Amino acid sequence: MANTQSPPRPVPPQGPGSPQDVPPEPGSFPLDPATLPPPIRDEVLAPDPEAIDTASEELKDGANRCPKCGATEIRQKPGTDELICLYCRNEWTARRVEEEFGLGEGLDELRGTVIASGARDIAADARDLMSFQCGGCGAEVTINTANAMTARCHWCRHVLGVNEQVANGAVPDAVLPFHIRKDDAVARIRQFVDKRRLFALKEFKDQFTPENVIGVYLPYMVVDANASAGVAGQGEIETRRYTRGSGNDKKTYYDADIYQVERALAFTVDDLPLESSRERGRLDTRVNTNNIINTILPFDTKNAVRWNASYLAGFSSEKRDADVEALRPRLEDQLLSIARAKVTDSVRRYDRGVRWEQEWLDVRGTRWVAMYLPVWLYSYHQPGRNGGLLHYIAVNGRTGETMGSVPVQQWKLLTAALTVGTFLEGIALWILAGTS
Amino acid sequence: MSDDGGLWLLLLGPTGAGALYWALYRYYRNTDKSHAFERETTVEARPVTGSDVKVDRIEGTRQSRIRGENTSAWRARVRRVEPPPDQQLAGREAGDG
Repeated sequence: MANTQSPPRPVPPQGPGSPQDVPPEPGSFPLDPATLPPPIRDEVLAPDPEAIDTASEELKDGANRCPKCGATEIRQKPGTDELICLYCRNEWTARRVEEEFGLGEGLDELRGTVIASGARDIAADARDLMSFQCGGCGAEVTINTANAMTARCHWCRHVLGVNEQVANGAVPDAVLPFHIRKDDAVARIRQFVDKRRLFALKEFKDQFTPENVIGVYLPYMVVDANASAGVAGQGEIETRRYTRGSGNDKKTYYDADIYQVERALAFTVDDLPLESSRERGRLDTRVNTNNIINTILPFDTKNAVRWNASYLAGFSSEKRDADVEALRPRLEDQLLSIARAKVTDSVRRYDRGVRWEQEWLDVRGTRWVAMYLPVWLYSYHQPGRNGGLLHYIAVNGRTGETMGSVPVQQWKLLTAALTVGTFLEGIALWILAGTS
Repeated sequence: MSDDGGLWLLLLGPTGAGALYWALYRYYRNTDKSHAFERETTVEARPVTGSDVKVDRIEGTRQSRIRGENTSAWRARVRRVEPPPDQQLAGREAGDG
């Protein structure tokens, strides 16, 4: 879609952690661990929970496992669209939306805004009405949740409980079933916290029960985009370096050529996940730890299957409350970031660096698919000002990637920092005394 | 050792304490983490195009880097402008001499 008129400028998400900061490489630590005192070093160097790379062969093969037993011995049930697990006889509908909707194809030709049915705007007047998809026969049963929370399917008498409820207008197109089991998630959370015990809040450690982790399907928009972007700015190349003065007054001077630099590129983005819950999408580490859940992205969304409420049995879920247009500024922000990251290699010859001053983005086409993605969530509420802070430890329900926020015992951390600081100061004074 | 060098050494203690506090706080709270979509999303890009035009030169500056460098701060937005009409920057393959 060409931006022929002045479009409203997107408001980029603000706040530390969200954001405008490029995250460090996984597993990196800003200080050299070898220089740290042994107890701290041991914690930092302990192994992280293993995560499957979503680009790995293990998930690329498209193996969708039986949601009940995890086996892959799955065949199509003759005469129906249902799948059957040959191991536990479990039957369900599991067609990958990727093939069904042709999602991975034609990104180059993507034009305009293509919105899958589940990603359409939420009707303001339909909030109370919820449609239930019967897990027994597939029929749609509509009920006004203002006065009832359960329903019986009028076709097959199957009872629909709260686990199978889906909100009108907020029913996703696809769901990615849990792959990591609960005991696995518990083990990962335990491993993650064991690496962060020395300075953790005492109450957190006392109350730490990872068995209380809950499986949640969180709402996301998975977006394909076809765009082009460009940047303009100034770059400098050093031509000469020399020193003037002598002794303590020796100073280094530089001569440089200044260039006007412009870069442009056309690109397609496949399956970019965006939080479609307004609350979850608000990343601000001063007031919440939503950046933790954001960090365990991405998922192997290629393996998502067509929406079926029965996948939600035994798990809780959150409802989508953001429409496509509300998420567009965030998408444009991320597309610009991707473009800026991609052009970095082309300006390496500017050895004094480049200062980008202008950027433009032309989004030719986008495709939006609403999905429920599986997350294991452990939470701890730390009391404090303004209602305290809810700390999350999240495990990606497909890849096992684990990230968390462990509350800190401030006095302990300050004491450790001051002790190390005093020790270093002692060395400095000793050196000064030795040289004077 | 000069007096100047000696005074700098006194900063070792406060700097070390601050760095350790900052590093451990981030290690526990992970406030600096977010989805690294730039490298974790499948992006297919055509070759980067562009132009490099010498406009000026500076002599005798004491700055070792360009002022306001933001090459690797790609998530910080700069001024947004309209796309050029043709969107094809006349020019060579980017990065050519």
